[in-house]
Amino acid sequence: MENTARACVLAGNMNRELGTRMRANNRGAIPQGGNTMKKSVMICIVMLALIAVVIPAGAQTKLKVWFAVSGDSGETFKALLEKYKAANPNVSIEYSYSGNYADTATKVSAALLSNTAPDVALMAAGPLYTGARDDFFIESKLNDPDFNKDDIYPGVWDYAKYNGRICAVPYGISTQVMYYNKAIIEKAGINLKNPPKTWNEFLQVAKTAQTKGNITGTPDFWGFDVTDVPWLFKTMLNQNENSVISVKGTKISPAFNDDKGVEVANFWKKLIDEKVMPVGQHSNAEKKFLAGNLAFLAATSARISRWSKDPNLKIDAIPMPYFKRPSVALGGNVLVILAKDPKTKEAAWDLVKFLASKENQTSFALNTGYLPIRKSGLTLPEAKAAVTENPMYAIAFDQLDISWSYWHFEQMGTMDQLLAQAVDALERGALTPKAALDKAAKELQAEIDG
Amino acid sequence: MSVKKKKGAQVYSIKKEQHRAAAIFVTPLLITLILLFLLPVILVIIMSFTNWTMTSTARSYVGFRNFVFVLKDPRFWKAFKNTAYYTALKLVLDTGLALFIAVLLDKKIHFRRFFRIAHFAPVVVPITASSLIWLWFYDPGIGPLNQILNFLGLPSMQWLYSEKTAMLSVILFSIWKGIGYNIILFLAGLQSIPESYLEAARIDGASERQVFFKVKLPLLSPVTSFIIMMGIINCFKVFTEVDVMTPNHGPLESTLLMVSYIYDQSFTRGKMGRGAASSLILFLIIFAFTMIQRRLGRKEISFD
Amino acid sequence: MIFPFVWMMLSSFKTPADVYNYPPKWIPSSFKFTNYEEVFKKIPFIRFYANSIFVSVVQTVLQIAISAMGAFAFAKLEFPLKNKLFAFMQSSLFVPEIVTIIPLFLLAASAGLIDTYTGLIVAELNCAFTTLLIMSFFQTIPNELIDAAKVDGCGYIRVFLEIMLPNSKTAIGTASLFAFLTHWRSYMWPLIITNDVKMRTLPIGLKYLVTETGTEYQVLMAASVMAIVPVLIVYMLMEKEFVQSITLTGLKT
Repeated sequence: MENTARACVLAGNMNRELGTRMRANNRGAIPQGGNTMKKSVMICIVMLALIAVVIPAGAQTKLKVWFAVSGDSGETFKALLEKYKAANPNVSIEYSYSGNYADTATKVSAALLSNTAPDVALMAAGPLYTGARDDFFIESKLNDPDFNKDDIYPGVWDYAKYNGRICAVPYGISTQVMYYNKAIIEKAGINLKNPPKTWNEFLQVAKTAQTKGNITGTPDFWGFDVTDVPWLFKTMLNQNENSVISVKGTKISPAFNDDKGVEVANFWKKLIDEKVMPVGQHSNAEKKFLAGNLAFLAATSARISRWSKDPNLKIDAIPMPYFKRPSVALGGNVLVILAKDPKTKEAAWDLVKFLASKENQTSFALNTGYLPIRKSGLTLPEAKAAVTENPMYAIAFDQLDISWSYWHFEQMGTMDQLLAQAVDALERGALTPKAALDKAAKELQAEIDG
Repeated sequence: MSVKKKKGAQVYSIKKEQHRAAAIFVTPLLITLILLFLLPVILVIIMSFTNWTMTSTARSYVGFRNFVFVLKDPRFWKAFKNTAYYTALKLVLDTGLALFIAVLLDKKIHFRRFFRIAHFAPVVVPITASSLIWLWFYDPGIGPLNQILNFLGLPSMQWLYSEKTAMLSVILFSIWKGIGYNIILFLAGLQSIPESYLEAARIDGASERQVFFKVKLPLLSPVTSFIIMMGIINCFKVFTEVDVMTPNHGPLESTLLMVSYIYDQSFTRGKMGRGAASSLILFLIIFAFTMIQRRLGRKEISFD
Repeated sequence: MIFPFVWMMLSSFKTPADVYNYPPKWIPSSFKFTNYEEVFKKIPFIRFYANSIFVSVVQTVLQIAISAMGAFAFAKLEFPLKNKLFAFMQSSLFVPEIVTIIPLFLLAASAGLIDTYTGLIVAELNCAFTTLLIMSFFQTIPNELIDAAKVDGCGYIRVFLEIMLPNSKTAIGTASLFAFLTHWRSYMWPLIITNDVKMRTLPIGLKYLVTETGTEYQVLMAASVMAIVPVLIVYMLMEKEFVQSITLTGLKT
């Protein structure tokens, strides 16, 4: 590029000289000389401009990356981005934390509307997946040999689909884990070497823990609770062979209120009726658990790393109980490529491949409490070490084999809200379990039909 | 009086001068109103007649369908009922309490400055922190409010976790958080009453009570009217504080308010068109209420 | 009344164990400033603080200037379309923030105002409330004062600067305080208009501490205590204005 510049300057000088000579030779020819000089300068400018556009485009790609995780997860993710930058000096990455899942969804939606969207986003599952805008770029890249798509758990791929087609790369994935307080279990004289397998068995164990294991002496002492109700409810539905949503061609309809679904709802009511779970206190469940007032808590696996670092917490976990078959629903965040032009998309894909590589994704997971998405990741020394240090990881990793995700569609956010409200109504006895589910199904269908 | 009998030309030039001055003084305000209010609202109106959603690329005119949906939606009316309940209760308690406290703080008591800051402090605490604190207060098991009740021999309450008490708990939190504003306004109003009026009344033999009711209160009525009007408007617009205390609209949706409904439609469900329609309906409702309040109020902010 | 406030201050010194203890400890086990240090380590607190101060102060000054001018016109001047304009202004109060935020963002984005101070500042200059407030106080200033000044040959600008403003210190002070408070606490707009962490404000920063892996309760309390300080300072400054009452000089009873 410098050579070209030099050439242009020389050309300009030559022309100037030419012009001067011509002027000296022929007074009347000044305009001509000037024009010739202008012309070559123009050509030079155009060439420089072309070079300026083409070479930097090849030399420096810009990627905007937003991520919806903060704290340790945020720092770890940022470190990975820096690592990529160091290894790829021709790519400049502008990254920023875009808020929690809800705030990020708002920001991304607004950005999409105004064409200021980032190129890559790490965000929660949802209808903002590019599939909603008919962009299945990622699906087309999956067979990239570097990427090794079969190494990723099949259930986990379901989480990255929209209307049945893959359009994201799973990343910060978690499942719910059944944690328990060791001191309470010990006091109640329960042996969890053979943990309860079915929910009914579990109910009995939780009840014993509650009646016999009160270590704090408070009356507000309970056997079981769960922080994220729709998540657990969906897990239970799938365990009971209910698919939550049924899809026939392009027609989507709720399936959670069929007989199998009502069975699940009835069991949920049983938990309340047998006074093992408090009514409507789910937002307090974690606090209760940490304060030692709750024997069993179903919460995200993302808590494992955090809670294991606290010496005051004596917590362990058992495999999630099930109805007819073991299964756990997935949660967490995924990588989405929102870029529009082909060059940026390719650059974004390169970054995504890097982030989702065996080493990088596994180390991200282990440092943050998310789960490794690659089977090969579990063979890495850090993964093995994590399991040895902390048996809870073993439970979480094992659950990957039975992980599952329901069908993602446009109204999935509404469905979660309606399910939460249905469960709330049945817990309080305002509606029977069947009536509550029917109501939610009816409203969801109305939303789907628009 | 004789001013009015001036020659026509002079009156005309005074008017012209006022017009010119007004142009200078009103223009900045007008600019902000157009940019930040009129333009966005025009967009909202346009949106309300379309089927815009956040996620899909559908963009077509659907006439009044959104409005019909919202007006037929039982959830919308539930939100309206809840909001009316919230407004009524909060307005009465907040205004009454604020006036009471302001009157107390107006007197020359010891540590007056400390008390004034104390009453203003809740307004200042960021909501991220105050919501966490109050969520702990309201904890049925270990929260201090129930502890106090138990100590007094009363049974624990469910506070935010029962559909019967959730709204009241939220209102209590709102009042704690916002009463400082009204106290300051009342104090400012009380302090702008010239001492001479009060002395005149006292010299005439009025007792303190009579001074309050016959002199202070009437002179406060522009401030009171202002507070009530802003109170109504703000109560109909409330969202964040309720959402943060009762996610998912509370037990059996008992704390579903109008703006929560709009947020639901626009952001949770992504139906921007419907959200826009419900915003316009809310706008009309607030407009109607302020009209009613104006008619009922004695001394309003008017131009005579 | 101030109990939650006191609780917040005490909590800012607690250790995580204190926080989750049952029964919860009221007095922290030690009064070290570790949580306060943590705040600076976890988030770019100083930058957020500086941004918040800069943006809030500029917004307050602009808003009060615009409002006072508009209030003067409404209170004391006659002009065409006055009533319509007043109603127009008042109706701007009827719209909640979430309704206008997306359209406003679309406008701002197309004007290239993302991640700019201009974008942060200008979009929140909603002056209706402060205008109404100041206007109601302006109305209590007797017209005779203004007439007297006009007879002396003052233009309206001088009337504004030399009569209206000095006699409404309470109103201006109150309005400034309210405006500052609203802007200091603003969350949604700064969140949506900024991507760069260097541009962000304090309320967003506080939310950073509420992560999806759990809230650092005690650190959040420490950060909140620090966040309150400027507002209390503004309040103290304004309070001096409250204590003095308005005396209407130059008026015969």
